[in-house]
Amino acid sequence: MSLIITAFAQGIEKSGIKPAEVCVPSDIPFEPDVVKQLGIDYFHTIRGRAIVFGTGLKLANLALKVVPVVGDLMTLGGNHFVHASRRNMELLVICVNNFIYKKIGGKSIPSTSPVFSLYSTFEEPFNIPHLGNSCGAIYTARWTALHTDEIAISIAEALNKRGLSVIEILAPGPDYYTGINNINSDLVKFYHENSEIKNNEDPRNVGITPEENIVVGKFTDKERPTFIDVYNAQLSKVIGDKFTPYGPVQTSRSGAGLGTGQNESGGKNG
Amino acid sequence: METLKTKKMKEVHPMENVLRMDRIPHIWCPGCGIGLAVTAFAAALEKAKIDLNKVAIVSGIGCTGRVAGYVKLDSFHTTHGRAIAFATGIKVANPDIKVVVFSGDGDLISIGGNHFIHAARRNIDMLVICVNNFIYAMTGGQVAPTTPLAVYATTCPFGSVEPPINIPYLADSSGAVYVARWTTLHIRRLTNSFIEALNKKGFSVVEVISPCPQYYSRVNRLGDGLDMMKFYHDNTEIRHGEDTKNLDIGFQSKIIMGKFIDRERPSYTERFD
Amino acid sequence: MKANPKDVLTGVHYIDGDVASGYGILAAGCKFVAGYPITPSTETAETFARVAPKGNAMFIQMEDELASISAVIGASFAGVKSMTITSGPGYSLMMDAIGFGAMLESPFVLLNIQRGGPSTGAPTKTGQADMMQSRWGSHGDYEIIAISPDSPQELFDYTIKAFNLAEMYRCPVMIMSDECVGHMTEKVVIPPAEEIELEPRRLYDGPPSEYLPFKPDDDFIPKMAKAGAGYNLYISGHVHDERGYPVINEKFKSVYLRRLVDKIRRNKEKIIELKEEYTDDAEVIVVSYGISSRVAVRGIEKARKKGIKIGNLRLVTVWPFPDEKIINLAKTTKAFVVPEINHGQIAFEVERCCHGKANVVLVPHSGAGVHNPDDIYDAIVLAAKEKKKIEGIVEYKTKLEKLVFEGDYKLKE
Repeated sequence: MSLIITAFAQGIEKSGIKPAEVCVPSDIPFEPDVVKQLGIDYFHTIRGRAIVFGTGLKLANLALKVVPVVGDLMTLGGNHFVHASRRNMELLVICVNNFIYKKIGGKSIPSTSPVFSLYSTFEEPFNIPHLGNSCGAIYTARWTALHTDEIAISIAEALNKRGLSVIEILAPGPDYYTGINNINSDLVKFYHENSEIKNNEDPRNVGITPEENIVVGKFTDKERPTFIDVYNAQLSKVIGDKFTPYGPVQTSRSGAGLGTGQNESGGKNG
Repeated sequence: METLKTKKMKEVHPMENVLRMDRIPHIWCPGCGIGLAVTAFAAALEKAKIDLNKVAIVSGIGCTGRVAGYVKLDSFHTTHGRAIAFATGIKVANPDIKVVVFSGDGDLISIGGNHFIHAARRNIDMLVICVNNFIYAMTGGQVAPTTPLAVYATTCPFGSVEPPINIPYLADSSGAVYVARWTTLHIRRLTNSFIEALNKKGFSVVEVISPCPQYYSRVNRLGDGLDMMKFYHDNTEIRHGEDTKNLDIGFQSKIIMGKFIDRERPSYTERFD
Repeated sequence: MKANPKDVLTGVHYIDGDVASGYGILAAGCKFVAGYPITPSTETAETFARVAPKGNAMFIQMEDELASISAVIGASFAGVKSMTITSGPGYSLMMDAIGFGAMLESPFVLLNIQRGGPSTGAPTKTGQADMMQSRWGSHGDYEIIAISPDSPQELFDYTIKAFNLAEMYRCPVMIMSDECVGHMTEKVVIPPAEEIELEPRRLYDGPPSEYLPFKPDDDFIPKMAKAGAGYNLYISGHVHDERGYPVINEKFKSVYLRRLVDKIRRNKEKIIELKEEYTDDAEVIVVSYGISSRVAVRGIEKARKKGIKIGNLRLVTVWPFPDEKIINLAKTTKAFVVPEINHGQIAFEVERCCHGKANVVLVPHSGAGVHNPDDIYDAIVLAAKEKKKIEGIVEYKTKLEKLVFEGDYKLKE
C-alpha cells in the first residue's frame, strides 16, 4: 500500500494538477499523516461506495479531480463501477486488488500465512480492465505494486483524461501476520516477477488465470464524451438559449509532456 | 366414417398446466410483450420435458417481476434487484433445482447489476430471462440503464444523457456461458433459445426485447404494441456468433439478434466437488 | 439569506404533494438530487428533473438507493445542498449511509414518502410505519430530525425548513411524509423569493492551516469546508477527533459521541415545532402527525360538539420527540389518543413520557388507507369515560377491524 501511495504522489506531481483539487474517497484507511503530506482531501467512505461518493463530489463541483481508491471495487461496488463506466463519469478509479491465487504461471505463491481474500480460490476473479472497457471506461491499465514508475505515469495520464479511467494495481493485502501497514515483500516481488508487460493488449485477453503470467500494461486509451458533456449537449439542444451549461466550462487538459518510456504508441484512439 | 361424439369436451388451454389459471387475466397492458415471453417460456418448459416440480422461478419488482405470480412453478416474487441473489441461494442449497430468474432490465441491470455480474463470474447454474423494454414501466416510465440516448422518460424530461448498457456484452465480459437475444415477435426462436439454455449448465442469459406501449412507445411517439412489432419485423437481423461488443441498441436502430455465446465453463456447484 | 428568484416558482399552484416538494427543493437552493424511482415518491424526482436546469442544479437517477445516498453525502462535502427521495424499501437500503452521514455530520435531507410496508407491501397506498425506523434505523447512536408535513403546502414549506435545519445542525433531516399527502392535490401558494428565508452553509473562512473540521463552535456544531479548496480534509466514518483523524478508544468515543447526540438534544427547544389547541384544560388530548392529524380533526370536532374537552396536539417535528411537552400535559390531562397508520410507534413514545399519569389509547391502522374519523371519535369518547388509570397502551379496536375480520384473522365476506 505504501508503494502505491508513493506512486500516487508522484503521479499527481507529474500530471500538473494541484493536490488541493484532488479528492480521494476510499474504503482503504489512509494514515492521517500521509494525507497531510499528499495535500489532498480524503474521505474514508463506507465499503464499496467510494465510486458513488465520488460521483456526488464530482457532480457537485466539476472543478474537483476525484480519485476513488478502492479495495473492494468489485464485491460491493461492482454495480457502481459498471454504471459509472457507462456514464463516463469523470473519475479515476484506482483498484487495489489483493486477490489470492494459489498458483500463478504454474508456480505457487510463496506466502503460506492465511490471508482474508476477496476471492476464494476456486472462483475466478474479475477481469477488471475487460469489464471496465466493455462498459465504457476510456482508460484501462494494470500494474503490480512494484511497477511504481509505471503506476505514476499511468496516474498522471489518467488524471488528465476526461472520463472514467481505471487502474488496477495488484498488491498483497495486509494479513494477520504482517500487520496493516507492512507489505509482504516476498509476495510483491512474486507478482512483479511473474508479470509481463503487454501494452495495448486487448482487454479480453488479460484475465488472470493460474496457468499464465499476469499481463500488465496500459490496455486502452480512448476518448468519449463525458456525462456532463452529453448532459449539456442534450439539454442545450432541447431547451435552447435559456439553458446555461452545468458547472464551470471544462477546458481540455493536454498531457504535460509525459514520456511513458515503455509504450510509444499509447494512442488516443486505442 | 367416424361420427363426432356429442359428449361435451372440457375446454383446456394448452398452457394450463404451467400457468396459475386462477390469476388470469393478468395485469399487463394490451400490446405489452411480457405475455409473449411467458408463452415462449411455457412452451419451452413443455418441449424440454423438464420435471416442473424441480423448477423454481424467481422474479424481482416491476412489470416483468410479476411473471412469477402467473407461472405454476415454485414462484418467488422477491425484492427489487435481488432476484439473482435469492436464486443463488436456492441453487447452492439444493443443486437439483433448476432455477430461472425472470425479471426486467431495470431490476436486473440497474439495482441488480452487482448480483448479475457476480453470478456470471461464478457461473452459477441458472437461466436469466431479461425482458428489456428500455424503461422502468411499473413505476411510471422512468429512464432505465438500457434506455437509448436522447430518448424521453419522466426522469429525463429533456432526453436521456447516459449511454445504455449492452446486456449481452456485459454478460459476456462477466463470464456467462450462454448469451442470446430475441424479440417478442420471434417466439419460436425464443422458445428454442430457452430450451437450449434450460439444458445448459452454467449462467445463461436470454435478452427478450419487448414493446412497452404505455410508456416507452407512447411518450416517444412510436405507436402502440403492434407498431413496435412491425418495427421489430423490419429492423432486426439475425447474426449468430456476433461479437457481443457490436450489439448496442440505439433509438429505433437495427437490432441484432441471435445466439452469441455458447461455451463451456465449470459451474459454481460443480467446483465444490 | 433569501432565496434566489430564479429558483422560486412564485404563484398559486394546484399541485400534488410530491410536485410541491420538488418545487420546494429548488426554492431551498438545493443543487444536487440523486434518486431512484420508487412509488410513491417518484413524482418528486421527476419534478426536480424538469426544473433543475432553471436553478443550474443537477438531478441524476443513480443505479440504486445505495448509490443515491452516497452520492448525496459526497455532494454535500463538495459544498452544495443535496438531498434524496425514497420510500420504504429504499429507506431500508439507505440505512448504512444514513449512519455514515450522521457520523460525518454531513447536512442532507431525505424525503421519505411512506407507503404500506413491510417489504414490498402496498406501494401505491399510504402508511406511517417508518417513524421508529427514521430514528433508530441505522446502527449505533446518533440523532436526527424528522418532520411530518400534512399537506402539499406544508410539503413545500417544510422541505425548505428541512434544508435550513440540516445546515444549522449538520445532521440528516428526514421529511417523513406519506403517500396520501404526496399524492393529494391541493392549492399551494409559493411566495416571492424575498419572503423565503434560507440558512446558508456554515463555512469556515479562516486560513486552511488552522482548520479543524470537527472543532465545534459554541453551539456544539463545527463549521464545514468545501472539498477541493485546499483544506486538506480528512473525513472518516471512524470515531474521530477534531482533525478528523480516527481515534478509537473509550475516553475519546465518549467525548465525541456525547457531542454528536447532545447537539440535537440540547437544542431541542429551537428544533421542535408543534401545533396545539385547547390543550391547557383538556380531558383528552389527541396526539397525531402527518395525514392522521388531518383525519383526526373530524373526530375532534365531533367530540367537541358533544361537550368533551378535547385538545389537539399536532407533532410537526416528530424527532426529537417533545418529551417535556408530553410530560407536562400528562399532569393535567386524563388521556392521550394517538391515531397513527401503524400498529403503534409514536404511541410508545407518548406512553413512555406519561409515566403512568395519563392513559394512552392507540388507534391503529394497518395501512393502505387512512383512519375512519368515527374511530377516532369513539376512541376519544372511550378515553374520556375511563376513570381508572390503565397501565400500558390501550389499543382501540377500529371499525375496520370489527367489520373485516373475525377473531381468528380470517377475512369476513
